[in-house]
Amino acid sequence: MFSSFGIAFRALYAHKTRTFLASLGILIGIASVIVMVAIGKGSQKEVMDIIAGMGENLITVNAGEMKRRGGRLRLTGNVTTLTVRDANRIMDEITDVEAVAPYEEKRMVAKFGNNSAETTVAGSSSDFPVVRGYRIESGEYFSEKDSKTANRVAIIGTTAVKNIFGEEDPLGQVIKVHFIPFKIIGVFEPKGVDTNGLDQDDLILIPISTYMRRIVNQKHITRIFIRASSRENIGKASEAISELLRESHKLTHDRNDDFTLISQLDMEELKKETTEMFTKLIVGVAGISLLVGGIGVLAVMLISVKERTREIGVRRAVGATRRDIIRQFLYESLIIGFLGGGLGIVLGVGLTLGLTHWGDWTLILDQNSIWIASWACAGLGVLFGVFPAIKASKLDPMEALTTE
Amino acid sequence: MNLIEMNSICKRYHNIGFETQVLEDVTLHIKEGDYVSIIGPSGAGKSTLMAIMGCLAQPTSGEYILDGEEVGKLNDRKLSRARNEKIGFVFQAFHLLPGVTALENVILPLVYAKRSPGNAKDKARELLARVGLEHRLHHTPGQLSGGEQQRVTIARSLINDPRIILADEPTGNLDSKNGIETMKTFDNLVKEGKTIVLITHDKEVAQHAGRIISILDGQIASDRRVNHAENTEVRST
Repeated sequence: MFSSFGIAFRALYAHKTRTFLASLGILIGIASVIVMVAIGKGSQKEVMDIIAGMGENLITVNAGEMKRRGGRLRLTGNVTTLTVRDANRIMDEITDVEAVAPYEEKRMVAKFGNNSAETTVAGSSSDFPVVRGYRIESGEYFSEKDSKTANRVAIIGTTAVKNIFGEEDPLGQVIKVHFIPFKIIGVFEPKGVDTNGLDQDDLILIPISTYMRRIVNQKHITRIFIRASSRENIGKASEAISELLRESHKLTHDRNDDFTLISQLDMEELKKETTEMFTKLIVGVAGISLLVGGIGVLAVMLISVKERTREIGVRRAVGATRRDIIRQFLYESLIIGFLGGGLGIVLGVGLTLGLTHWGDWTLILDQNSIWIASWACAGLGVLFGVFPAIKASKLDPMEALTTE
Repeated sequence: MNLIEMNSICKRYHNIGFETQVLEDVTLHIKEGDYVSIIGPSGAGKSTLMAIMGCLAQPTSGEYILDGEEVGKLNDRKLSRARNEKIGFVFQAFHLLPGVTALENVILPLVYAKRSPGNAKDKARELLARVGLEHRLHHTPGQLSGGEQQRVTIARSLINDPRIILADEPTGNLDSKNGIETMKTFDNLVKEGKTIVLITHDKEVAQHAGRIISILDGQIASDRRVNHAENTEVRST
């Protein structure tokens, strides 16, 4: 009990409330670091899941140049060079491509009996579910034959079902879009929102041939979805697609692309950047709260040194060296640091697990953050304890003894 | 051989704007086994002299040789060791650690000793028994009377078997009965061969010593040896 550590422990034990208050700042700091990092990791995973859910090894070709506006990618200009023929050529000519789905969409009103609702009406090919990761919940997807003959059949998403049919079973029913009747032959499984927060289930999908001929009457499309054969081949496939489209659109060397390619990897990179920035921000905020906690330790240690000036004098008189005194006070601040850190880790991990278990949050506990937090509180204890400890050791023994 | 050798010791304190000369050219030699009283009115510089003697403060100028070592040349570690091994302090205000038992207070110097004996607790118990406190081992200073606290302090000063005991007004905070007890203890320690330097303003207490040095305005005013016959004579007059 008389080692420097024991002395420090005793001194802290004698002032329980003060010790707790001193460590409170570090406690809150550490807990917030852990929870915030978990939130950051969780939201990153959520976004990555959404990207993966958009379709495995997905490459998207958009007509025209895409630019970031207000944080979202938007098409600029009206480019009419991208066609279904391009989509077919990509499928036929590029080996690393597994499936291709040309795509065109428009917000339109769909009617069923007296009900009507605005929804996204889209046209695509029979590969669309494979490429975009949509699954049929009931009924069936349209066939090659439906595509070839431009049949008026439709697959509907669950949000559109709710808006148009309410509780009624949509299978086999006929809806009218643009005064043209379509027979519902299938319903998609719900898919949730995309990375931009748009509902992917508010959709009526019809064969692209039907769409081009009966709905819009145009030759060009705005998008082609492509599935590469593997994640590793995404880059290679992208290059080949780009080359093919430039050749197909007869673009000479001096002209810019009239299309934009975005692969799953690009999307991940993009989102990673934003989530990483978010993570840096919260770590910064947590760092500031840790600093404040450290200053709390500093204040309490300075008070402790002042209060125990006589004790320091006595210890020096009976043979304690400066180093003994430094050690005693450093242990004290180190214990405060570890106490705050330990409780902070318990609170942080508890909150993280609690919010995941009972709350509607996706939090991922990062073991690194716990390690870093432990080192941080040890570091804080030493850093903010050094000054008071040195101050204590520099006291003149005689003066310390005669202090009132 | 001189155990304590002070040559031309000066001590000045700097306060804002002015300087106070506390000790002026003090030369003092004390032999091993001496029993010395230092007397003088308050403010004469007695305590400062003791602080320098006990390596708790450094003189502004002059030379202090303790047991053959020049104190001014010692670093903090060696100074601390000198305090730990050569000197035992008995303070007027006791200076025990609050909230710590008598036994642990007595052991304290051994915590900082270079070689801490394994039987530290037995040794402390023995010393406390010697000062009549065997029944108070686990009491904290707050639970002890002034006299008892002073006896704990004496036990603490002896734990590391020092050659010199420095006592600053050891009877100052005690009633006469406890004061007499304390002085008896010192008398016995001298018989055992310890060197004792006693600081007091009480002439009667000073008479216990074999040599009385009186300090006035930071200088030695007189330095005389006394024997017991003389002692009695002074008392009767």
